[in-house]
Amino acid sequence: MSEVAVRVEDLRKVFEVPEREAGLKAATKSLVRRKTREVRAVDGISFEIAPGEIVGFLGPNGAGKTTTLKMLSGLLYVSGGEARVLGHIPSKRERDFLRRISLVMGNRNQLQWDLPALDSFELNRAIYRIPRPDFLALRDELIELLEIGDLVRKPVRQLSLGERMKVEIVGSLLHRPQVLFLDEPTIGLDVTMQKRLREFVAEYRQRHEATVMLTSHYMADVEALCERVIVIHHGKLLFDGDLAALSDTVAAWKTIAIVLENGAGDLSSYGDVIHRDGDLVTLRVPKAETARVTARLLAEQEVLDLNVEDPPIEDVIELVFAREAVE
Amino acid sequence: MRALVSTMRAELIGAGGVVERNAYLTKRYIWWDVAWFLWTVANTLTIVFIAKGIEATGGDLDVNRTMTTLLIGAVVWAYLGILFEFLMETVAWERWEGTIEYTFMAPLSRAMHLAGQGVFAIAYGLLRATFLFVVCAFLFFDLSMPDAQFYPAFVVLVVSSVSFIGIGMMMSVLPLISPEKGTQLGFVAQGTLLVVSGVYYPVEVLPQWMQWIATISPATYALDGIREAILEGQGMTAMWDEIGPLLIIGVVSIPLGLWVFGRGEQYAKKHGKLKRSG
Repeated sequence: MSEVAVRVEDLRKVFEVPEREAGLKAATKSLVRRKTREVRAVDGISFEIAPGEIVGFLGPNGAGKTTTLKMLSGLLYVSGGEARVLGHIPSKRERDFLRRISLVMGNRNQLQWDLPALDSFELNRAIYRIPRPDFLALRDELIELLEIGDLVRKPVRQLSLGERMKVEIVGSLLHRPQVLFLDEPTIGLDVTMQKRLREFVAEYRQRHEATVMLTSHYMADVEALCERVIVIHHGKLLFDGDLAALSDTVAAWKTIAIVLENGAGDLSSYGDVIHRDGDLVTLRVPKAETARVTARLLAEQEVLDLNVEDPPIEDVIELVFAREAVE
Repeated sequence: MRALVSTMRAELIGAGGVVERNAYLTKRYIWWDVAWFLWTVANTLTIVFIAKGIEATGGDLDVNRTMTTLLIGAVVWAYLGILFEFLMETVAWERWEGTIEYTFMAPLSRAMHLAGQGVFAIAYGLLRATFLFVVCAFLFFDLSMPDAQFYPAFVVLVVSSVSFIGIGMMMSVLPLISPEKGTQLGFVAQGTLLVVSGVYYPVEVLPQWMQWIATISPATYALDGIREAILEGQGMTAMWDEIGPLLIIGVVSIPLGLWVFGRGEQYAKKHGKLKRSG
């Protein structure tokens, strides 16, 4: 196996998009002179992902996540820089490359809407040259893992969003891809279904030593699956490292939630009071001072309950984007 | 050598998968297809009735022969429509279904992908065309074709399909370049073939410059061959005058179609047009 599953170096994608003012006059003028502007969807990002690694690829809408995944899957040509997946240049569409990757997009479908999923699985078997015994074994294993035995015989359009996502994932994994690009796989799913899919992805990765690149707006997905995150915004890379390090770097504070015996008085001398609900007060304190402040609170106040927490990952990510916007 | 055979085998299996998928989809909507077939029958009858109309208004013509001539034109036109529709759907339909990205990411060469579409279109189109001809000629009008040689006519239609598929490949690139209007633009090419190929009238009535275009249209040779076989009773030997040009056009149009499609795919991947509608 290659030492690097995904290597991206100074990757760029620039689109030319038409733009004009509102109104009939501008519309008529644009027939003759079309104005366009450059949109740098991906602007010089670089990173590497090792085989078997699972990485969260985060960013707000329009950050360039899907564009990057499409370039890595060969669906978009790069404007500059280089992308290699399993040693292949994706845009070349080499068979060996295409047979070893899979892209799952939460808002797209690869299965034919009007056919039962089983028929589309058969097409994948033919296209991906999966020997029938292997195909049947893995298909049945995946169907069992996701508990969709009764769904695969129905036309896909009759399935709920969550059910459809499950059968889509089975379709994407039948050829045992070594690299899996998951673009918002849990979008629109209820909490239970999200959890089931997360468990499934973790299990698949472990069983098949697959490399996974995951984008999701649900931080629970990222926290449950990824030790490492790559954060991009406006096409630029903002952070690449451990999820825990991201929190330390960007949000060097913790929250202390306390409930006091005699009701909450003025606690501003301990830290920033960020929330107050009856006897429950939440303080924000610098990470380095958490132990000292906690000890002071226990010594000086009649504490009924005390809870120290890292900032929620949603807040951390929001801070990353906010910091980039200020810069 | 073994690797080449293995690759070819894999490609053919993949193309077979595309044929199979189209068969499933057609089966899924078979009753809608029957309804649409009725529309095709109605459309064909409208054209064939023109011969009777001319006679009724005092025109001097061999009604049976003119009706057969028009029927052949309408059937070939309907057949061409099916082929082009399937090829155009390679992109347009998949874009609508939302499967386009996955199809273009599949490890199947574009040639085999399009061949899979084409083979199914030919099989399905031939079945429909045959049925359409039988229903209109014998069940509805009871046309007399004492000298008809159906086998050579069928062979000409099959051979012409290769050229039609090549042109269809070129047209199917239009929805790839323009997701919004590309499909409609495909009808322009189809309409051009209709005008110049003598579908309902002899090519000789056209202005000279249109007759020149007619010489490179496979539909011209397909119609000539089929009419010669059915109306004049010409056998296979006489068909080579049509089969020869059809093969030459096919040899040129298939690689050209693949090249054009490849260029369109490159354009779409460069400009981000390879995505679903909406």
